[in-house]
Amino acid sequence: MIKYVERFGDYVLYVLEQVGWMATLLFKSLYAFAKPPYDLFAVVRQIHFIGARSLFVILVAGGFTGMVLALQFYNTLERFGSIDLLGSATALALVRELGPVLAALMVIGRAGSAMCAEIGIMRISEQIDALECMAIDPYRFLIAPKIIAGIISMPLLTSVFNVMGILGGYLVGVLIFGLSEGAYFDSMYAGVEWNDVEMGLYKSLLFGLTLTWIATAKGYFLHLDRRGAYGAEGVSRTTTDAVVLSSITVLFGDYLIGALML
Amino acid sequence: MTQATSGNAVIEVENLVAGYGDRTVLNGITLSVDSGEIRVIMGGSGSGKTTLLRSLLGLKEIAAGSIHLLGKKFHYGYPKHMSEVRRQMGVAFQGGALFGSMTVGENIRLPLREHTRLDENTMRIMTRIKLELVNLAGFEDLMPSELSGGMIKRAALARAIILDPKLLFFDEPSAGLDPITSAELDELILRVRDATKTTIVVVTHELESALKIADRITVLGKGEVLMTGTVEEIRNSDDSRIQDMLNRRPREEDQDPEEYLRRLTTMQH
Amino acid sequence: MESQTHKEGSNTILTLSGEIDFHVSPKVREAVLAGLDEGQNLLVDLSGVSYIDSSGIASLVEGFQHAKGKSLSFALLGVRDGVMSVLKLTRLDKVFPMFDSVEAATAANK
Repeated sequence: MIKYVERFGDYVLYVLEQVGWMATLLFKSLYAFAKPPYDLFAVVRQIHFIGARSLFVILVAGGFTGMVLALQFYNTLERFGSIDLLGSATALALVRELGPVLAALMVIGRAGSAMCAEIGIMRISEQIDALECMAIDPYRFLIAPKIIAGIISMPLLTSVFNVMGILGGYLVGVLIFGLSEGAYFDSMYAGVEWNDVEMGLYKSLLFGLTLTWIATAKGYFLHLDRRGAYGAEGVSRTTTDAVVLSSITVLFGDYLIGALML
Repeated sequence: MTQATSGNAVIEVENLVAGYGDRTVLNGITLSVDSGEIRVIMGGSGSGKTTLLRSLLGLKEIAAGSIHLLGKKFHYGYPKHMSEVRRQMGVAFQGGALFGSMTVGENIRLPLREHTRLDENTMRIMTRIKLELVNLAGFEDLMPSELSGGMIKRAALARAIILDPKLLFFDEPSAGLDPITSAELDELILRVRDATKTTIVVVTHELESALKIADRITVLGKGEVLMTGTVEEIRNSDDSRIQDMLNRRPREEDQDPEEYLRRLTTMQH
Repeated sequence: MESQTHKEGSNTILTLSGEIDFHVSPKVREAVLAGLDEGQNLLVDLSGVSYIDSSGIASLVEGFQHAKGKSLSFALLGVRDGVMSVLKLTRLDKVFPMFDSVEAATAANK
């Protein structure tokens, strides 16, 4: 009996330790980056990696999401005779919820897993040790640009997602179902308020921070994983953990912000 | 092979105790390395070589004792202090630890970019000088994934010496190399030391290399220093463990036939 | 590290002294290139230099290359042991013309 309590306590301490390491990483990275000289070029490179390279996925996902939304909403709204609201329904769903969340999940899958794996492999092959021995702060050099790029990229990607969604909705609602173009866009202008856009913005900023933070931290502290993380299996396991953890955190954060702002 | 040393200890380790969690690996190591000396640290598996190296490099926390490098106290937890000394140190890791997203040239130039404000031309010429030195001339635009094992080691060495460090560490330089490349690397180590009077610490288990390049050898065994001495002194040592190592004699296991049978046949439930 | 440039006949002489490391070598680089801008053969007097690192060597190499581009000659004077061993290690002892005196250098250029 005591054994189980012991093991549980041990596990709790282990989790707390992990949380501690992650918090340390965030503070050290942001603090280190805030001191001159500022390496803006590194941030730009990461924006290209996280943002620009995710663009195709975002465009496609955004388009299809908008199309599905319009399809489903049209069906329901028709029953109540309110198809004129299609524009605002689609736009609100995108701007408040689906834009930030789905864009984040796409980026987690694409860039989050790549970042975690890259840093994890660097840890295993002593590249991070090499940085430290060259008196180069790995938090400033490696981690901080990624986190800052994530915070900058996510709102931008989310906006692109939203625009594509609205266009997808237009494709289905106006071009396929024959709703008037004027009705589609007018209801959108009337229905979407700054408050909604603001909510989406805060979400995307938070998600940008969260997904890069978790991905980099998981990779960086790979060697502290008790399950013995060295080697290909370790990297893949840690990367999967990072994707799962950041996805769940995004969904939770989505609820949290929604609850706080509504 | 003994180089006249100036007698200034560049590395001073006193009663170093270090381990992982509850497991103590180093049990009070004391050693010192003089300026311009090539010190080889040898020992079998489990002797604590890697732990000692990582502690010296400040990559590992130590439980007790002290480390002084270039006269400054050095260990985990004093990042600013360490930063100053680290700029005067170069480390060549076992796998090279080159950054895969940069070319060989960019890898070598990295310390220059981060720590100096030298002109691009100057940095380029310096990089090429080091590449020539390690016989990698013309390879600066290749990516690390395009290099062979020996080439990676040499590129790592070039990066380690780009700032003309006073202290150089090698972690298993011969690992994975064929005898000829290994011998070439040994020659390189000697040449660099002779010309620049850099202090060099080599952690290795390659006996031949060790005997060829070392001024003094420190032999570790089960977390303790068995002996520190010149190649001659080591050769003439009475310690059976050292003689075993020199003669490549495998450790003898006591064979109890009953025990052996039991080990072979017991089933786990 | 001190540096001083003066003209002597058909040569420009750049006298350096002290230790040359990467903090100081940008100044050496500037002085060498400025010296060549005078349009005459450049002699770099290293008799007062006790230590030079690879950034200093790189500056000299760049100067040598620059001189070649301008069809001027470039030589080192008074190279001491410490500096010579670094030049030997980098195999530049076969590249730079080296002399003991201004006269010897001038004679060689004729």
